[in-house]
Amino acid sequence: MRFFKGKREMDSASFQVTSKDFQELLKKFKTSDDFLTFQFPNDDGYIISYFNSLVSVQQLHEQVLAVMSNQPKKVLKQLKGDIPMEDMKLTADLKDIQRLVLEGSIMIQYKQDDEMCLLIPCVHSVKRQISTPESEYTVVGSKEAFVESLDSNLNLIRNRLPTPELQSKEFRVGSISQTRIAVLYIDGVVNQQIIKTVIQRIEDIEYDTIVDISFVSQMITDNRNSMFPQLIDTERPDHLASVLSEGKIGIMLDGSPHALVGPNTIISFFSSFEDYFQIWNLGTSFRLIRLFAVLFSVLSSPLYVAVLTYHYQVIPTDLLPILISSRGVIPFPPILEAIVLEGTIELLREAAVRLPAKVGSTIGIVGGIVIGSAAVEAGFVSNVLLMLVALAALASFTVPIYQISNTIRLIRFPFLIAAQLYGLFGIALCSAFILSHLLKLTSLGSPYLDPLYPLRIHDFKDSLIRLPFSKQKKRPQFLRTENPLRIRKEAEKRNTRNDIDE
Amino acid sequence: MEVKPNETKQISPFFVFFLMPGMQIGVGILGFERIIAKESGQDAWISVLISGLIINVLLWMCFKLLGRGPQTLDLVAIHKDLFGKWVGNAFNILFILYFIMISIILIRTYLEVIQVWMFPGVNVLMLITIILILVYRFVEGGFRVITGFCIIGLMIGSPLFLLNYFPLKYAHFENLGPFLDHSFLEIMKACKKMTLNYLGFELILIYYPFIKNREKSQKWAHLGALFTMVIYVVSILVSLAYYHQDQLKDVIWATLTLWKIVDLPFIERFEYIGISVWLFMVLPNVCLGVWAASRTAKRVFGYRQKKMLVLILIIILVSCIFLDNRYRIDKFNTISSQIGFYIVYLYLPLLFIWQSIVYKFRGHKS
Repeated sequence: MRFFKGKREMDSASFQVTSKDFQELLKKFKTSDDFLTFQFPNDDGYIISYFNSLVSVQQLHEQVLAVMSNQPKKVLKQLKGDIPMEDMKLTADLKDIQRLVLEGSIMIQYKQDDEMCLLIPCVHSVKRQISTPESEYTVVGSKEAFVESLDSNLNLIRNRLPTPELQSKEFRVGSISQTRIAVLYIDGVVNQQIIKTVIQRIEDIEYDTIVDISFVSQMITDNRNSMFPQLIDTERPDHLASVLSEGKIGIMLDGSPHALVGPNTIISFFSSFEDYFQIWNLGTSFRLIRLFAVLFSVLSSPLYVAVLTYHYQVIPTDLLPILISSRGVIPFPPILEAIVLEGTIELLREAAVRLPAKVGSTIGIVGGIVIGSAAVEAGFVSNVLLMLVALAALASFTVPIYQISNTIRLIRFPFLIAAQLYGLFGIALCSAFILSHLLKLTSLGSPYLDPLYPLRIHDFKDSLIRLPFSKQKKRPQFLRTENPLRIRKEAEKRNTRNDIDE
Repeated sequence: MEVKPNETKQISPFFVFFLMPGMQIGVGILGFERIIAKESGQDAWISVLISGLIINVLLWMCFKLLGRGPQTLDLVAIHKDLFGKWVGNAFNILFILYFIMISIILIRTYLEVIQVWMFPGVNVLMLITIILILVYRFVEGGFRVITGFCIIGLMIGSPLFLLNYFPLKYAHFENLGPFLDHSFLEIMKACKKMTLNYLGFELILIYYPFIKNREKSQKWAHLGALFTMVIYVVSILVSLAYYHQDQLKDVIWATLTLWKIVDLPFIERFEYIGISVWLFMVLPNVCLGVWAASRTAKRVFGYRQKKMLVLILIIILVSCIFLDNRYRIDKFNTISSQIGFYIVYLYLPLLFIWQSIVYKFRGHKS
């Protein structure tokens, strides 16, 4: 299925032609062994050439060769009328020829060395079946995930949002790969400025091959050196559809089973799409638990280092004996202990990601139980810290978006060093440094810390907390949408409140 | 050089509510009780209340100063309008020095708290350098970022005000009587001492052009200043009720000492946490002060604000090296309190009157 045919023409300008003339192009094609040229139906017939790796042979046989074989040789214009295929093109334009042949069109010439060609799209594409989401799996909700084919992905979105306002602007990126990239948005909702920014940045991309959407993500974000991701990548079509109607934009790349979503706030990286599948009070609670988990995950081991290195007075007297008995025999200062343990956890994580799934689970068990308890028994680390670090690692897994969980993994190391230098005050200093970064950060021009700053009370309804759908009358303010209302009709107000037993 | 910040650099008038306490509440609140109570004893809270109200009157004057002329959107423009280029710039330079002075007090006093309560042997120079780098990072982001820091700092810091609940368990409210036992002069003396803690509202003279719909901001500014007053009054009431008068005379950091009695099952000696978190209350002040100084310097000398910023931070660093003991810091505090007092209570009203006269004269002319 192909949408937006017209758009293809527009971007042919960006296609680079390296050959000087038609003959040179043809020669280049022919050097490759998968390029086929033959005459049909007889030695005097049309010259048909194509990349047999790109063309669907079945279509070629049934729709093209079958028509040709029964008829006398005609001019190409007449032939075009006979063949029952869509989107054919009769052209002598070098650019078009190169582009369409490389996309999987059959090239038909009337006779050898004729520059006028009939190009018949006859694409044979290898597609993966739509499967279940893996990194954003939810118990309830749709089980479809994006695949590598852009057309299938657009299909998934358009099925969910059957409105003419859903627009897709296609471009090509990468001087060699010429990858198709589509910017999706709902016209009349989204702020035009955001689209302009995104399109401008996509057009500015200069690179040879763009194989994955994460390349694009790194090239178009506002701050390219920030550890904090500014664009969410999602593999769920329902997620993309719902944020599109919120007034965000989506970016999809052919060959990548993920879509980028923006602009985002930092809070949106901690909200799982599953929060919307639950009743609002449960969803809110889980969201808050997740935020707490993140804070705990970042701060627990730095706090341990700070308190045990400088501020042991903070620990209540009843708790002190436990800590003393656990740390008494450890020969290292708390910072070394913490860095060793955190390092081990990072090692395990990295190993578990790189290994195939079945071996990976073994690593978890070996790492968690064997190495951990051995380290405690050997007296290298205290069991209190082991518990804290393990809990912190666990807490960091509650983050629903993969990119930000990497940030959280790394960000605790500066905190550890700051805690070693200045104790609790160091932790405050380090937080202030991070805050100074976050305050300056924008996501596609929107402030990253919204709704905390700029303080927008309205946007709290779906950030730290999630209020019921009836309260989500307006789209988020930070998106500066053209149509801020989500619910058009005012719900009928009940004038009389029901009293008991009425 | 006219003041016309880009609209994307402006803030909404509502945020002025946070900028007021953001600049006024700093390190002073950790230990202002002793100084005020020395003058007016159990009636100290009345002084705090009165000076808070006077501050609101002065704030009203500031808005009048800004709003009267067509082009007088900030202090530099007002000075130029009233005194011409040269005399006006002389006053501007005074104000630059004044803002730098405020920033120095804030940093140095906060570091003293850290030295006394947390790290007696800390390398002050290194710590100040780190803090100044932090200040640079915030100020470099522009006024919007500093405003954000004020708001988020207030969000992080304000839960500490709830700690006042703990000393209330041991409070003796009879300490507050007898009511109005001090003479008017004594109360006014205490008011004068209180000035330093309320300083910061006059920054509105610098950041006024950065507010969208400026006319609406006055309401929020007054509310913000009143909010500061409420915080100070509550703090001093709690301290007066908790400490005996003779005891209070010897407690240098009264509010800080109150944090010590916070009693939670998992934390003791809460002041360690409190002092650390207080960074988020102090640093916005410093950033605003440094920003105001560098902004005014830019408007006066015409250099890039970043250059001015670096210069000012170096000045602060060098001054902090000289303020190396309690005696000098105290003296510096007293002097700057005096300077602040005269600038706010004397210079601002005079400027206000002078502007009224000039405008009346001009009005007759045209």
